[in-house]
Amino acid sequence: MKKHRLPLILGLALLAVFLLAAAFPSLFTPYGTKEMFRPWLKPGGAHPLGTNSLGYDIFAELIGGTRQTLQIGLISSLLTMALGTVIGVAAAGSGIIGKLMNSMINVFVSLPRLATLIGLATFLGSSDTVLIMLIAIFSWAGTARNIRAKVIHLNLQPFVENCRIQGYSRGHIVVHHLIPNLYDVLISRFLLGVNSCIMMESTLSFLGFGDLYHPTWGTMISLAYKRGAFLRQAYAYLLSPGVCIMLLSLSFYLISLHFEKKQTEIRHS
Amino acid sequence: MKEYKKGILLALVCFLVVVVLNFFLPRLLPGNPIAYLTGFSEEDMTPTQVEFYRHALHLDEPVLSQIGFYLRSLVDGTLGYSYKKEAPVSALIGGRLGSTLQITLPAVIFSTLIGLVWGLHSGYKKGSAVDRVSTAFQIVINTMPSFLLALILMILFCFRNRWFPYTGLSSSEVAPGFMPFLLDRLHHLVLPVLTLTIGAAPSRYLLMRNTVSQVCEEKYVLYARERGLSDRRIKYSYILKNIAQPFITMVGMSVSLCIGGSVVIENIFSVDGMGSLLTEAVYSLDYPLMQGILFMSTLIMTLSIIVSDLICVLIDPKVRAGGDGK
Repeated sequence: MKKHRLPLILGLALLAVFLLAAAFPSLFTPYGTKEMFRPWLKPGGAHPLGTNSLGYDIFAELIGGTRQTLQIGLISSLLTMALGTVIGVAAAGSGIIGKLMNSMINVFVSLPRLATLIGLATFLGSSDTVLIMLIAIFSWAGTARNIRAKVIHLNLQPFVENCRIQGYSRGHIVVHHLIPNLYDVLISRFLLGVNSCIMMESTLSFLGFGDLYHPTWGTMISLAYKRGAFLRQAYAYLLSPGVCIMLLSLSFYLISLHFEKKQTEIRHS
Repeated sequence: MKEYKKGILLALVCFLVVVVLNFFLPRLLPGNPIAYLTGFSEEDMTPTQVEFYRHALHLDEPVLSQIGFYLRSLVDGTLGYSYKKEAPVSALIGGRLGSTLQITLPAVIFSTLIGLVWGLHSGYKKGSAVDRVSTAFQIVINTMPSFLLALILMILFCFRNRWFPYTGLSSSEVAPGFMPFLLDRLHHLVLPVLTLTIGAAPSRYLLMRNTVSQVCEEKYVLYARERGLSDRRIKYSYILKNIAQPFITMVGMSVSLCIGGSVVIENIFSVDGMGSLLTEAVYSLDYPLMQGILFMSTLIMTLSIIVSDLICVLIDPKVRAGGDGK
């Protein structure tokens, strides 16, 4: 039993560190993100990761980026979930709307996501809000597909039939009886969704679509690369944001692993 | 048979969505469509230039004939004209497509092969130490963004040890003749292909492992084991045949995954491919070029999905035997 909990504890601990860094940056670093020092200081001593071309402390920038990255990841994942739930429930209907929604899901699942996102981001301009909206618009399809399958399954259950016989409206059934039963799909999709949203955000930021004044981790790598961190051998500047992205994704993945295990246990018992 | 038809139809609908998006986006967004379609800002143009572009882009004609002109540019393959680079978009893409394919095709092949062989092995021995260690390893790799992989490989193999070049696909001073050129090209391709392969392999591996572990619960696998057949025989002549269709569909999807991934890789390794052309277009706000690239990548993706679905139909013994696969 103890062994089963290990991924969950590890994941939560990692996530707690990142959340703490996002909420109270001053706990981790005495410097502000825009405080200037001598440029290109080597890592060590007062600056654990050194300073960048403008003389900002890289560790402070990394801590500052935590909030930006988490914010974009969490908000776009929440939006993704909301969109996915609404469309997924609608697609489970057997009428014309259901069929239409279902084919919309299938189209969105197989669009070339990165290229379309880049195209749209260029047309719409790049700000955090646009980025969050775009990521959500191109990520909901997988969630909707899962929700649809689950709702179709639930619709055949006796308790839903019972509600229908008692004359409750479809809206009432959906809000009070279906959605509470979707929580397992929603939790696992949310956790994995945060991952894919952060991944997409950092890829887009790396390609230069991020907000340059409030850099996320992806923007940091992009700037490090462009400012010649390679020639200065400032490897910490190049790699640390990527490692943070990796650890954050890993923490969400470990937590989701726990929920998945629980689900299979319930199914097999 | 029916589900493949559906898959092909879906790919075509996706393609249509992108085409429609490409046409209407610059015309419906707030702002002057001339600015979007040429990439020049409105303030920099003289009235005569504006008139010239309005006519050249057919914006003075009704929407229906605009659609006609747009479709014609897609069909005859010019894909529009980049006013910033002063060349037809197709010529620009054509010059770069080769490099992209040289990176993505090997990566597609290697990553699916790794996914197949390794995933088949782990799925067959699900729950064993080998499976657990390699699945954990692949999951960790899966959480690494591709640019992190690229940067790590670059630091290790280009800067710490100067084994591989870090930019472009050819050296400037290469000996004449075909063989030296080929060796030089291969030398340059190693790292980009490796990065893309490592980046794409984990998701292929996980997919294969889960499919195989499900198939392994079937009776025919148990029976084959009881007959004392070797593991290798069971894996490659029994299980592989039964997972051929999901595998081929996966290869088709890998193509679009790798094309997307190559945007990042080409930027880091400064390869003159379609991906770096896309970022160039983005930075210089060259909208026609960008749309052309979006169209092209959708086309490649649609084709790969259709081809993989067709192969699935062709190898399906039920279809070959004359039934319709019910």
